[in-house]
Amino acid sequence: MSGKTVLYVEDNEFNLKMVRQLLARTAYRLIEATDGELGVATALREIPDLILMDIQLPKLSGLDATRRLRADPKTVAIPIIVITSFALSGDDQKAKDAGATAYMAKPYSPRELLQMIRKLLPEQ
Amino acid sequence: MRWVAGIKVSVHGKLLAGYLLVTLLVIGMGAMSLQTISKMSSQSQLLDEAHERVHWSQDIQHALAMQMNFTAMALLLRSETTVENILRENNRFNNTLARLEKAAQPEEVELIQRIRAAQGDAITTVADIANLIRDGKIADAMRLQQEKQYPLYRRIEEFVTQLVLRESNKMDQLRASVAAANRSTLILMAISAVALMLVALLLGFVISWSFILPVQKAHGFVSEVAKGNFTATINVPNRDEFGALAAHMNHMSQELQRLYEVQHRASQELQRLNERLQQASKAKSNFLANMSHELRTPMNAILGFVEMMLDEIYGEVPPQLREPLTDVQTNGKHLLRLINDVLDLSKIEAGRMELVLAEYSVQDVVETIRTSLQSLALEKGLEFVAAVDDDIPLAFGDGKRITQCLMNLVGNALKFSKHGRVALAVEQQGKTLLYRVSDTGIGIPKDELENIFGEFQQVDTAITREFSGTGLGLNITKKFVEMHGGRIWVESELGVGSTFFFTIPLRVETSEVT
Repeated sequence: MSGKTVLYVEDNEFNLKMVRQLLARTAYRLIEATDGELGVATALREIPDLILMDIQLPKLSGLDATRRLRADPKTVAIPIIVITSFALSGDDQKAKDAGATAYMAKPYSPRELLQMIRKLLPEQ
Repeated sequence: MRWVAGIKVSVHGKLLAGYLLVTLLVIGMGAMSLQTISKMSSQSQLLDEAHERVHWSQDIQHALAMQMNFTAMALLLRSETTVENILRENNRFNNTLARLEKAAQPEEVELIQRIRAAQGDAITTVADIANLIRDGKIADAMRLQQEKQYPLYRRIEEFVTQLVLRESNKMDQLRASVAAANRSTLILMAISAVALMLVALLLGFVISWSFILPVQKAHGFVSEVAKGNFTATINVPNRDEFGALAAHMNHMSQELQRLYEVQHRASQELQRLNERLQQASKAKSNFLANMSHELRTPMNAILGFVEMMLDEIYGEVPPQLREPLTDVQTNGKHLLRLINDVLDLSKIEAGRMELVLAEYSVQDVVETIRTSLQSLALEKGLEFVAAVDDDIPLAFGDGKRITQCLMNLVGNALKFSKHGRVALAVEQQGKTLLYRVSDTGIGIPKDELENIFGEFQQVDTAITREFSGTGLGLNITKKFVEMHGGRIWVESELGVGSTFFFTIPLRVETSEVT
């Protein structure tokens, strides 16, 4: 399969399932990780084309994971969308500071998320 | 000094006793002088008496000489007429001798009696001589005078001389003793004057120092207490007013120390409570941050799945399911707004809400509101006008929070108006921005105007149901406006409409943000 790879780091199985179903009808290939450390390891192993990173994760927070990926030359250029808690609480600024390419406040609209993915990583 | 201080007598009593003692000593000295003076005067009287006795003795000698003289004259004149003169002189002699005897000292009495005896013999001889002269026996008379009278007189004279000598000796002794008494009195007076002075000085010194020492100690004690050393004590030997004062001062410092300890314990307790409160507040803040995300995660799934269903990602949606799915979506969004508002308010209440200050464009903020709410206005058939001057420069503050405030106000205006128009206007007044949101809605009763910005204050619970507000929007708006250093108020007329105003500094000073 030649589709572009998207890594979603998220510990909630329903959100994972939702994005899985959202991307099922697209050309994107989804790989998943359920905590921050696994997320970093998976990203370094698979080198995906785009990463969706939840801000609050077990073991290693989304912000710390983003910082680690930005510190590694292999992942430094990968677009990362950080899923923040609430756009108004200053999380967006923290995400930017950690090295996020873009951020999306939770709860996000699947439609808008897909638009943002497509904008950063054209499907074809 | 300590001893004087320790006497259980008042200051008043001690001073009186001191003065009394000095006065008594002066009186004693005076009495001593008086005694000396009277002793001296009695001695000078003795001297006078002795002097008088010498005078009398001289009289006696004179009388004796005259007797001899008249006896010789009688012999020369061969006449006994002058014998009368001899008898007169003899009387003078006897009188004087009698006075002398009366005043004589006991040891002189014998001598005087011998003088009298000799005089008696002499007078008898004179009588014999007179008889011989009358008989014309001049030669016998002369012989008698030569042989008997003259030696008798010589003896008497010798006795008198002895008497005078004794008196003179006595006078010398008296004079010497008076001089000695004078000298010793002088010395005594000088010594007692010096002693008196020393006693007065000593008393003054001791009494005054017995007062000064406690005063000095009190001074030291008070300055210690003033420095905050409440454990200081004052210890004076005085059992007078100063002693009582010192006891009161010690009581005072004990009481101060006790109060200080009570206060110290209370402040420690407060500090501990404060630390616990801070920990609790921090825990609450962390809890809120976690909770915020924990609540959003399932909401994300709920709203996400519903949206995907409505977007027909899972296939065509049967027409009869579209309405209930939309209801789920509407209520999910309302629940999300409630969650956001409650979390915001909790953060504000916990003092953990911080503004994110940055440059922002007022025009952009208004545009965001317009695009977000235009569709809602259209849906309800309301006219929605948003006007903003193009001249307003870039502002400094938390643009997202100000947007949130306007969302609340304009959202309410649209919610509570069934027809007419909703207008949003922003104008710059010097260094302040004035926002105005007016509607032609149901209005707010006068008695509710004051409470409208409180928590969960919607005019009517029925309205809450009908217009589905959270009841927190105005309260949060007020708090954000005030955090910016601004002010919010409302003017309203029932059935006509309401206008909400708020001011925000064009550029928020960092120090103004609370």
